[in-house]
Amino acid sequence: MPKITIDGNELEVAEGRTILQALDDAGLLMNGIDIPHYCWHPKLPIDGSCRLCQVEVEGIPKLQIACDTPVRDGMVVHTQNERVKQAREGVMELLLVNHPLDCPICDQAGECKLQDYTYDYGVKASRTKEPRRALKKNVDLGPTIVFDQERCILCRRCVRFCREIPKTGELAIFNRGDHSVIETFPGTPLDNPYSMNVADICPVGALTTKDFRFKIRVWFLEEVPGICTGCSNGCNIHLGVANNKVYRYVPRRNDAVNDTWICDEGRMSYRRIGAPDRLRECAVRDASGRLEPVGLDRAIDAAASRLRRLIDSKGPGVIAGLASAHATNEDLFTFRRFLAALGAETHGVAVVCGEADDLLVKREKAPNAAGAREIGFRDARAVVDRIGSGGIDAVIALGHDALQEGLLSSEEALANLDTVIVLDTHASEFQRVAHVIVPVRHAAEKLGSFVNVARRVQRVVPAVESMGESYSDGEVIAKLGAALGLEGFDGSYDARQVARDLAAANPAFAGIDLDSVGDAGRPLADAAASEAER
Amino acid sequence: MLESPYVTQYLTEHFSEADYPTLEGYERRGGYRAARKAITEMAPDEVIETVKTAGLQGRGGAGFSAGLKWSFMPKDDERPKYLVCNADESEPGSFKDRILLERGAHQMLEGILIAAWATGACATFIYIRGEYAYPAVQVERAIAEAYAKGYLGENVMGTGFRHDVQVTRGAGAYICGEETGLLESLEGKKGQPRKKPPFPAQYGAFGMPTTVNNVETFSHVPHIIGKGADWFRGFGTEKSPGTTIFGVSGHVVRPGLYELPLGTPLSEIVFEHAGGIPGGRKVKGVIPGGMSMPILPAGQLDVPMANEFLRERKTMLGTGGVMVMDETTCMVRAASVISYFFRDESCGQCTQCREGTGWMHKIIERIERGAGEEEDIDVLGDVAGKMEAKTICAFADAAAWPIQGLLRHFRDDFVEHVRQRKCPFPGSFEL
Repeated sequence: MPKITIDGNELEVAEGRTILQALDDAGLLMNGIDIPHYCWHPKLPIDGSCRLCQVEVEGIPKLQIACDTPVRDGMVVHTQNERVKQAREGVMELLLVNHPLDCPICDQAGECKLQDYTYDYGVKASRTKEPRRALKKNVDLGPTIVFDQERCILCRRCVRFCREIPKTGELAIFNRGDHSVIETFPGTPLDNPYSMNVADICPVGALTTKDFRFKIRVWFLEEVPGICTGCSNGCNIHLGVANNKVYRYVPRRNDAVNDTWICDEGRMSYRRIGAPDRLRECAVRDASGRLEPVGLDRAIDAAASRLRRLIDSKGPGVIAGLASAHATNEDLFTFRRFLAALGAETHGVAVVCGEADDLLVKREKAPNAAGAREIGFRDARAVVDRIGSGGIDAVIALGHDALQEGLLSSEEALANLDTVIVLDTHASEFQRVAHVIVPVRHAAEKLGSFVNVARRVQRVVPAVESMGESYSDGEVIAKLGAALGLEGFDGSYDARQVARDLAAANPAFAGIDLDSVGDAGRPLADAAASEAER
Repeated sequence: MLESPYVTQYLTEHFSEADYPTLEGYERRGGYRAARKAITEMAPDEVIETVKTAGLQGRGGAGFSAGLKWSFMPKDDERPKYLVCNADESEPGSFKDRILLERGAHQMLEGILIAAWATGACATFIYIRGEYAYPAVQVERAIAEAYAKGYLGENVMGTGFRHDVQVTRGAGAYICGEETGLLESLEGKKGQPRKKPPFPAQYGAFGMPTTVNNVETFSHVPHIIGKGADWFRGFGTEKSPGTTIFGVSGHVVRPGLYELPLGTPLSEIVFEHAGGIPGGRKVKGVIPGGMSMPILPAGQLDVPMANEFLRERKTMLGTGGVMVMDETTCMVRAASVISYFFRDESCGQCTQCREGTGWMHKIIERIERGAGEEEDIDVLGDVAGKMEAKTICAFADAAAWPIQGLLRHFRDDFVEHVRQRKCPFPGSFEL
């Protein structure tokens, strides 16, 4: 492995990498060793056109661009000397020659690399007296993105993204020289399923999403690390939070999961968190058949007494558990323990399935199907079959994914049940038949973990408080277990402790707890072994 | 139609003879003997050595050793290798390749054949600028004749060596004369220079090992192989052997082409061969090698026209396009024309070039209008400095150098514009 020296620090790097790539591999880029850059992006082909990342390499007379200069053993690089500084200032000054400098009305302000680098590496005052380019403003590129041509610095990240990642190639540079502009081809809008990523990689305010622009200034946002729950890929995200509200999801880099991307559908799924159909209070069906809002204690009491009556009359075998792939491992482990303590042997997990692609989008449209299966939940099919054959009198359902074509699509099947207890985030058809309903937290509102399709354990942390009354599924189940006097249930629920219990009980989770899993996640024991083998 | 340079040497001596452009006429004057000799009697390395010993410098502008460039072509490589003949002559002030294409297409093709043998290339793409309609016709005709005679194709001259030649027409962008911009255009893409490395010898046309040479470079090769390296070194200077075709334009009595040995003093070209300045006026400055080369003031015209001497005067031979400006010329207007050209032709990839060419032009235009300040002159020099040596290709340098040259030698012209708040040369050429 070649050794290079950057600003006096020796660094061992992989063969065949460029200076910028080597620093990125080592996690040092803009994090100890600062080489400003625009056109270079870790997940896109090298372009070498912005010329901002120039560094001095000993033995080469001209300054070299760090993004495209391969490392050689013994290479000595200077990134901070006067010559480099002047070259950077030169590029920064030239980039601003035609820039409208409209930061006060630009939605990128606060997360704009042109703004940041101008403060850090730019010249103090403008020397231009010439008129700036007058170009198109507010260009509608497609259903998701708005383009300001004047702000564009022509780094071509968006062009390369469309060509290389979704491979749709909607964007191109038209014309040349200082009349170059980015455009879509006539009749070809920017509408691929990953289109909104261009707004993330645009270093300036040229490309912004219709969804987020002008909603809030980004410096008011707290960026909370989390996981997209749209499918089983579990793309890593930052939730942009302010005023106890999630304003957006943006992809968070994780080279083992989603690189730096997220699909548009997943990105927009943040809207589910504060959706109008979120359940906000517990409810119990009264004698007249109406759902009556109640407190959690009364809901637990009602559920417990219904279950107790059935256990006493028919035994626990008539109770079935339907798990949700939207619940965390901690919720599901608690539920699984509850069903075992109860003696209810009929259980399964229902997952909604849909289209997949070969980039990020997976078939299973929930974040934790793998976790549910790992914890021991079988396919929900078995539960449905037993309900159909009349062997089940009570169902405890987490979520409503079982209400789908092929599973519990008909109300009749449920209408004949003696007891339906539902723990859910959003309203569903369960509302019509459930006897007890308890609102539970969305993944953005609680601590826990998911296992993605590649068997990687990933953590979610509370980013917002839920608007109404709500609890973790595990918390509700723990209370219900205590109300039923089940062994091992004292009514308390601590996700951290449950994760440790899971690790102790299930070898696949060995050594994984909610602290050690970190923001980047960790593979399950078997996945880690096969990864190591590779 | 151009027929022949005013002064001829080995390259152009037969150009005025009517049958010379035909294969028959070319062969009658010894044509294709050098190619036959190379392919049948010489090993490829021997050919490269001879061209290296002859010291042939590329005639497209950069003056890089042709033999050395050929030697960069990989030897143990399974991939097909290509040659590209750069006939995109787009440098303002340069018009030498045109006559070499129109009158000497077979001479060029013979040079291509020899280079192909030396480098192991199986095909040559001749990239001719779109505006060169008649030269392209002449080249196509010569190629057809060569195929018919068995000098091109599957079995060149019955030796079993295979070589194909194909013409591609450009569409008028200056940057497609830059060798990697040309390769992109050749492949049907937008003409934007590639970052290097990889160099064309590793990754050239269609990703294959490729050598790109200028029309004139190829045209010298048959003479070197036919008459020997020593003979070739009998022309020109120690470091810059051979002749070149100077294209003289501007304020001279006899603008036109002059084939002269490298090292001929610029003053001899301007005053003796081209007849000096008309109307008894004085010379003000001369651009020695096409528009991208820095200008020389009247006092420095004694310089021999070879890179080793021109570099001492902070300029270069370029393409040998000599542009003469007399005392009536406003150098700010000249700067305006030059900077407009480069602003228009920048491909726009690199920040410095895209933004710098536009900014320079806007400043110069303002100074020419009489709306400039003295500080603008400093900013102009500074912008040119920011563009130099920092981009993917040499275009930014080509745009910066002439402005730096004009500021170096004719700063007074700029200052006078600022002081008088108007152009002090009302008799200069119109913009």
